[in-house]
Amino acid sequence: MATSSKASPSTYEYPNFYSSFFAIAAARLWLSSKNLSDTLKHEQVLSSPLTSFEQLQEGIHLFKHGIDPYAGGSFRHSPLLLSFFATLLPNSRWLASVLWTLNDLLASWILVQIFRTRQNVRQSPRDTLIAASYCLNPYIFLPSLALSTSSFENTLLLLTILLACKGKTSATLFALSFLVHLSLSTTILLPPILLLLATDSFSHLASPQPTSVKIRRLLEFFGESLLYFGVLTLVSALVAGGWEWIPQTWGATLTLPDLTPNTGVWWYFFTEMFDHFRPFFLMVFSVHLIIYVIPVCLKFQHDPLYATFILVGILGTYKSYTTLSDPGVFLSMFAVFPEIYPYLRHPIVTTLLHLHASLLMPLFNHLWLTQGTGNANFFYASTLVFACAQGAALVDAVWAGLRIAIGPPVEGYVIVQE
Amino acid sequence: MLPVIANDDQHNLHAGPTADVVATNSTSSMSHGKVAARFSFKTILSGASPRDPATLDNEDQSQHYTFFPLALGQILRQYAVTELHLTLNAGNWNYDRWGYPQENGVGTGAELWAWMGEGDIKSVDERWRGLRNALAGLFCASLGSLDELRTTSPEQSFVPEGSLPNWETSHKVRHASLPSEHVCTENLTPFLKLLPCKSQSGIASLLNPHRLFDADWHGMGVHVLWREEEGVELRLTFQAVFDPLRSGSVKKQDWSLQSLFDRNIHRSCPVARTSQVVSTLPTDVAYSISPEPSSIEGNVAIFDVKSLVKPLDIKMEWANSFSYPLQYHPDSVPFSVKRTLRGSSQAWGQLSVVITNYRPSAVHALYLEIMPWLLQFLVHTLEAQVDGTVRDGIISNLTYVAPVPHSRPTTFQVLLTLPPQSTVHLTMDVTKAFLRYTEHPPDAQRGWDLPPAIFTPLELGMNNSAAALVKEGRIYTSALLVDLATPDFSMPYNVIIFTCSVIAFIFGNVFNLLTRRFVVVRLEDKKS
Repeated sequence: MATSSKASPSTYEYPNFYSSFFAIAAARLWLSSKNLSDTLKHEQVLSSPLTSFEQLQEGIHLFKHGIDPYAGGSFRHSPLLLSFFATLLPNSRWLASVLWTLNDLLASWILVQIFRTRQNVRQSPRDTLIAASYCLNPYIFLPSLALSTSSFENTLLLLTILLACKGKTSATLFALSFLVHLSLSTTILLPPILLLLATDSFSHLASPQPTSVKIRRLLEFFGESLLYFGVLTLVSALVAGGWEWIPQTWGATLTLPDLTPNTGVWWYFFTEMFDHFRPFFLMVFSVHLIIYVIPVCLKFQHDPLYATFILVGILGTYKSYTTLSDPGVFLSMFAVFPEIYPYLRHPIVTTLLHLHASLLMPLFNHLWLTQGTGNANFFYASTLVFACAQGAALVDAVWAGLRIAIGPPVEGYVIVQE
Repeated sequence: MLPVIANDDQHNLHAGPTADVVATNSTSSMSHGKVAARFSFKTILSGASPRDPATLDNEDQSQHYTFFPLALGQILRQYAVTELHLTLNAGNWNYDRWGYPQENGVGTGAELWAWMGEGDIKSVDERWRGLRNALAGLFCASLGSLDELRTTSPEQSFVPEGSLPNWETSHKVRHASLPSEHVCTENLTPFLKLLPCKSQSGIASLLNPHRLFDADWHGMGVHVLWREEEGVELRLTFQAVFDPLRSGSVKKQDWSLQSLFDRNIHRSCPVARTSQVVSTLPTDVAYSISPEPSSIEGNVAIFDVKSLVKPLDIKMEWANSFSYPLQYHPDSVPFSVKRTLRGSSQAWGQLSVVITNYRPSAVHALYLEIMPWLLQFLVHTLEAQVDGTVRDGIISNLTYVAPVPHSRPTTFQVLLTLPPQSTVHLTMDVTKAFLRYTEHPPDAQRGWDLPPAIFTPLELGMNNSAAALVKEGRIYTSALLVDLATPDFSMPYNVIIFTCSVIAFIFGNVFNLLTRRFVVVRLEDKKS
């Protein structure tokens, strides 16, 4: 087992983790002090209409002036975020960038904790690498510098996973309900996280065994999370003073009223869609997200954390309003599963595809919308490459996660599928 | 000052409710040599009252259409319209140089607003839809496009000009404008048909489309309102700004009916009660006017078309040649407004409004923006600067109705307090929408015309209350053009195919891995 070899150094102290984590934090805080948010806030690959800081500020402004921000308009943040930012959190641009940076640091620390819990160690030599893979991942820190609220969704996602790994039932279910409340598409993470809560988070990839979770237990979890979800919905209705926020926030995820370009596959598809086919394809795209849940959970029932990881990858590729931080969290989560690295088939191709797409996307977006020398197809093509890059990473992760069970390659034998 | 030609036709009918037709043509010379002409034909249906929407189920009481145009009257009765204003204009009215127009409605393009009583039988919105479609048919204009995407209810800036009947239900205003719709000959022809003498005689015979649509600025208006003491009043107007210096070989601002309209008045309209040409006379230069005016009141000469010798050609000549003034003093307008849209990006930009108050005292004005959802305001970025420094207290009383993507427009209204003799810079960030490919017009790359903003100068009540009095008429800014991002219009099939292929490719790969079992195969050693 992969864990057994790592368990022994747990008694050994790695003091350099804290010093290097401090260095990463200092670098991030220095970046946040550069006040890049004004230059980055209009970058469409970094923040979507559902997560943009500008729209959040607009909503807060209207809310404070007694105008219902959900009565039309383009404010699509959850009422919970609205109430937090309107009351507790600072409204200054400088404090906001510090807050976003601290949030990223917290998320990277949570990611380290997830790894430690999975390996069942108190410390490991990989900690620094894992923290850096989150904090210094450009897909993560650029949206954070643009003050996209998707950074908070990522932190909440990782927190949910960590709590589930630690087996804290109520806290996990509450965090999960909160996450679903902020971003409706994360509903598809519900089954693997409930499974994770019911089992353990250790790596069983190399020795798959059918899980022995009782359905009844999962239903209890589901009932509890439904309860929290109901409470949060009621609180939101109280904050927003009605139910108009539902079509504005969750409804937007499903019906795509705002066709602002992003890194996903929805926007251009529905810009170019014939009007009479629009509802049908909206249904197809939403159902397509759900279709992966059961097969992935069944196949990876021995390791629900891995199933969660795969579904996070699905979300980053296919959800309706993606920003770079959605695929970013998937790529950063690769760091939690070092045991699959030897079995990845085409990591270089995936890396090059990502490099290609992430360089071309902002460039073509700029050429189309600002310079006027390119057209929409340029940017669309680069998002297609990005979808391919995400797909390559996803397929490789699925392959490696299954292939690891057979063990290292032996001369004279090949592994094929029936 | 412009010379103003005013034509006035008035018709009398004795039996029953009477209809009066008054035609006026007024001209005035403006300080920069232009001539503003306004035609106004007024028909009053005495004793008549607008239809109560509660009676829409019953048969309508009979109306007199001897002089009142039947085509328009039927529309008003069918949709129970109390007050109606339709204007179709081409060009920007230059308030800074021309001062206030004689008719307020000078916004670029088509503008339609109506006050209607609420009713259970047919809602205001249902009747509004019917009204704009009926008027589109009557005036051959694209008024049918004034749909939900452009309809709002700005009650404070569009107060009724007449009186509203005291029915059990309240009245509602509906307003819509279409800046890309310009007035042309096909709109003038149905307009002339509404006149009792058409363009055959009287002042209306001067309405020569070749000259009117050649003017620097021109626009027509149809105004229906109800006055409690008088009855239903129909006012058909046509305004134009001519430039006599442009056509004349000599640099003189002389004009005559013949030179402006290429026509004379050969006979008066027999049914008009009064029919006058009114001309504003210059005050400080030498001039001559012929023939002798019927009367002169102040600096206004009045010609009675009925009594003067026909054919009537009114001539005005200046002794000296014209020189352009170095400065313009628009004393009639309290402030001047410049509105622009900044930013080169097709995704976002900044709306900038520069308002200069010329008066020695602070001026209050309502600033109204009715914006299609294509351009969305970020109200939190609204900022007022005076001489480069941010100043509080200029913007107050915000009314904001957010747009609904693909349908409702934004209504944004603030009360501005303009400090004396200073320039206020208002800026607000905007985001530009991304449209579905079917929502773009055929000439998508041209951009979208955005309606003019409307400023209404106010005389505030005692306690800065919203119930302020409208002091002077509305001021329209110029229309804007916004350049929206366009998708590739030839690509729908390609995009559907490409996107679906990528999704299917990833889906297929993932499910291939998930469903097929892994097996270990021993490779045959070829050598052994």
